[in-house]
Amino acid sequence: MIANLGFGVLLVTFFVTLYSLLTAAFSNPKAFARLFRSIPTPRTQRWANDLEKLDTPQRAASMVESARRAMLLTFPLISLAAGLLIYLLVNDHYEVQFVYQVTSRSMPTYLKVTAWWGGQAGSLLFWSWLMSAFASLVTLRKWDRDREFLPWVIFVACFTLAFFIGMTTFYENPFKQFYQTPTGVEAYFLQPANSILFTPQDGNGLNPLLRHPGMIVHPPMLYLGFVSFVIPFAFAIAALITGRTDDRWIRLTRRWALWAWLFLTLGLVLGGRWAYDVLGWGGYWGWDPVEIAAFMPWLTGTAFLHSVMIQEKRGMLKHWNMILVILTYDLVIFGTFLTRSGVLSSVHAFAQSAIGPLFFTYIAITFIASVALVIYRWGELNAEAEMHSLLSREALFLFNNLLFMSILVVCFWGVIYPLTSELFTGAKVTVGPAFYERANGPLFAALLFLMGIAPLSAWGHSTLKTLGRAAWKPTIVAVIVTAALYALYTKNVYALIGFFLVAFVILITLYEYWRGARARQKSKNENIFTAFWNLTGRDRRRYGGYIIHLSMALMAIGILGIELFQIETQGTLELNQRVSLGGYDVEYRDIARFTGPDGREVTRAVLGVYQNGQYLGDLHPRIDYYFDAQQTMTIPGQRATMKDDLYILLVNWEPAAATGATFKIYVNPLVNWLWMGSLLFLLGIFIAAWPDKDPQRVAVRVEKSVRQVSAAD
Amino acid sequence: MTETTTPRRAVPLWIQIVIWIFIVGLLAIVALGLSRRQQGTVQPGQKIDDFTLTLYSGYELGGRSEIKLSDLRGKAVVINFWASWCKPCEQEAAELQQAWTEYEPGGEVVFLGVDYVDTETDARVYMKKFGITFANGPDLATSISQYFRIRGVPETYFIDKAGVLRYVQIGPFVKVEDIRAQIEPLLK
Repeated sequence: MIANLGFGVLLVTFFVTLYSLLTAAFSNPKAFARLFRSIPTPRTQRWANDLEKLDTPQRAASMVESARRAMLLTFPLISLAAGLLIYLLVNDHYEVQFVYQVTSRSMPTYLKVTAWWGGQAGSLLFWSWLMSAFASLVTLRKWDRDREFLPWVIFVACFTLAFFIGMTTFYENPFKQFYQTPTGVEAYFLQPANSILFTPQDGNGLNPLLRHPGMIVHPPMLYLGFVSFVIPFAFAIAALITGRTDDRWIRLTRRWALWAWLFLTLGLVLGGRWAYDVLGWGGYWGWDPVEIAAFMPWLTGTAFLHSVMIQEKRGMLKHWNMILVILTYDLVIFGTFLTRSGVLSSVHAFAQSAIGPLFFTYIAITFIASVALVIYRWGELNAEAEMHSLLSREALFLFNNLLFMSILVVCFWGVIYPLTSELFTGAKVTVGPAFYERANGPLFAALLFLMGIAPLSAWGHSTLKTLGRAAWKPTIVAVIVTAALYALYTKNVYALIGFFLVAFVILITLYEYWRGARARQKSKNENIFTAFWNLTGRDRRRYGGYIIHLSMALMAIGILGIELFQIETQGTLELNQRVSLGGYDVEYRDIARFTGPDGREVTRAVLGVYQNGQYLGDLHPRIDYYFDAQQTMTIPGQRATMKDDLYILLVNWEPAAATGATFKIYVNPLVNWLWMGSLLFLLGIFIAAWPDKDPQRVAVRVEKSVRQVSAAD
Repeated sequence: MTETTTPRRAVPLWIQIVIWIFIVGLLAIVALGLSRRQQGTVQPGQKIDDFTLTLYSGYELGGRSEIKLSDLRGKAVVINFWASWCKPCEQEAAELQQAWTEYEPGGEVVFLGVDYVDTETDARVYMKKFGITFANGPDLATSISQYFRIRGVPETYFIDKAGVLRYVQIGPFVKVEDIRAQIEPLLK
């Protein structure tokens, strides 16, 4: 009953979205008139004339308003569908196929709720829900100065939404129910003839790998990041269609892009943390196609956030920003497609499904349409200024963009290579982490270097002399730090280069901060802390950006540590036997197998950890076997310090055999800096992206109140 | 259309052509990958064509370093696709080996491990770690996995004595009984 209602709601939502999309498009008959006008036959010319007659401002305004309201209606509708799905999930309605696939009776309630995005059908609905929320938010803003964008923003948002809702409704419907027919049990949208509803006793249960807290938050974060990039894209397309190609669209969407970037970055970091805690790789990042698919829009998004500043400040790179936004959106969709359609095999085993061809069509349409639009408007996107100096800030930002694009090319090539090699050589060759690391390592190093010097350069013009004056003190300190590391910590050349660059970035950034605060302290006569505070408050975008740079440098420390210095060993230990690795002694003390909560069998080992003969505590690596999902999960025992992580996996233990237990032990140096860096990153982005009063909107408001005053007169 | 003060510079034709060729090429490659994926694996009931598997030294079958499927006519064949980088494969490695030790004396069943996109060094470490003794070899030029159109690793294919595919297991086995349950019907 409820499932049928949910199906009905989805169907209605789909048609409302279609209505909004079409109304928004036809509110502007001039665009179509222009299209017909370009085809030189008498009939099309006549159509063009008719259409132009239709174009009255009143009609256009009311159609746009209608489209807008329809768009706003989708959010409560999808929320209702989502509410119904959650009700079904929480109340064990196993006659619903999706509920059967992702939940079981033994799961706690909060997991039943988060199982919403634990399977394909539900996660598509979740995607649509977020998309609708964001599109509603954006249509609710004040549009006074940007009327002409509105219909096209609605059009693009609804086009995307219609596609996802359509897929959820007709292909991957979470409300399909099981029916017993003469030929067997199958899932159907509607009850077939001669059938009765079939209710299984219990469900399959959520994939145990997805029961980790990181996994509960990781997909929503990634989706949020993906979805919020649709908004800048919608504005970019609106700007291209309307021909209003000044930088208004960029000013309107800059903050959206920042939030999108925040969510995407968080999604990536949380995914890494999840992999580290759950997958038992001993690492956080495996250059898996799905990871790269999420990483690629991050690259273009980061490049966009930087190059946007050049357009705002100098009126340059207009083409480039347009291309970056479109690329980001296309990569989001392309990444979702590659991983969901099963074209690439990966550890992220998503279910095989019928959405592949449909998704492919959608991708082809968006790629071709957006590229055609950019080519069509190319001539109108001219730069207002010329590049004067190779050391100016805009030039350094351009280098930064080139580096991000190079990393993107490396990643893209790695992802697409298995497909092309299969086509041209007949053999499928996948590229491993080694390829990505070798190709991207130098690019990341160059990025770090730029991160250090770019904030020192000036818009328009900088010389080696001005840069040198600002950079020489921090550089000397960075050299001293590196020398100290050489003497005390490592002789590895790559590590030393990396640590030098990290020190360089951190010191220069802090020094810049310090200089700004000092100047303020002197001129405004504030104490140094107030000066810091006010400095950040006055130019939050800049200083938030500095904090983000610092956080990236901290993350780089963690990455260098685990990539270059990770050590591991594997061995079978008898009770009370010891093994040592990286300065730690580990003693195998005890093991037990028992039935744990929510339907799993836990095998838990106890290991004592010693360093220099001193007892530090116990670690408990364990193996969980989930009965309902028939899957095992390896949970490491971890001891985290700023210097390194001791990370122990229980590989194997048979109660019957008297051979002891097998452990895999890693020492992961410095990896905690990665997680610390991500916390600092959060702080930085909140400072940079927290909404403040749009000065232009304030101006509009003043104008309006003036008008009201004069009307009152 | 508003007049711009700067002259309109359109994208040169040849660049447009390059862009469109790139996009169409990309879409074509993806479409091809997708259509292969949509076919799915070789289906049970199909007769499997002959293929040759080169075996790692130390993992030969009856002293031969190359084995043809046609040489094994009259025996049931279990083909397991795996890789050393594949974590789920580790889940079933011990179970497969146990099943092999049970069926090896009977001589009616042959296990073939096909190592997919891997290096020999890593593969040897993996096989040693799990004490694998059945015949194993690399899938040279990925020809065998392409013939079976595998979706990923691990996948296991059960072929009867007449050379007809009877069952396909996608993903790892959890219990030895599950492997036995697929082999037993092949022996009748």
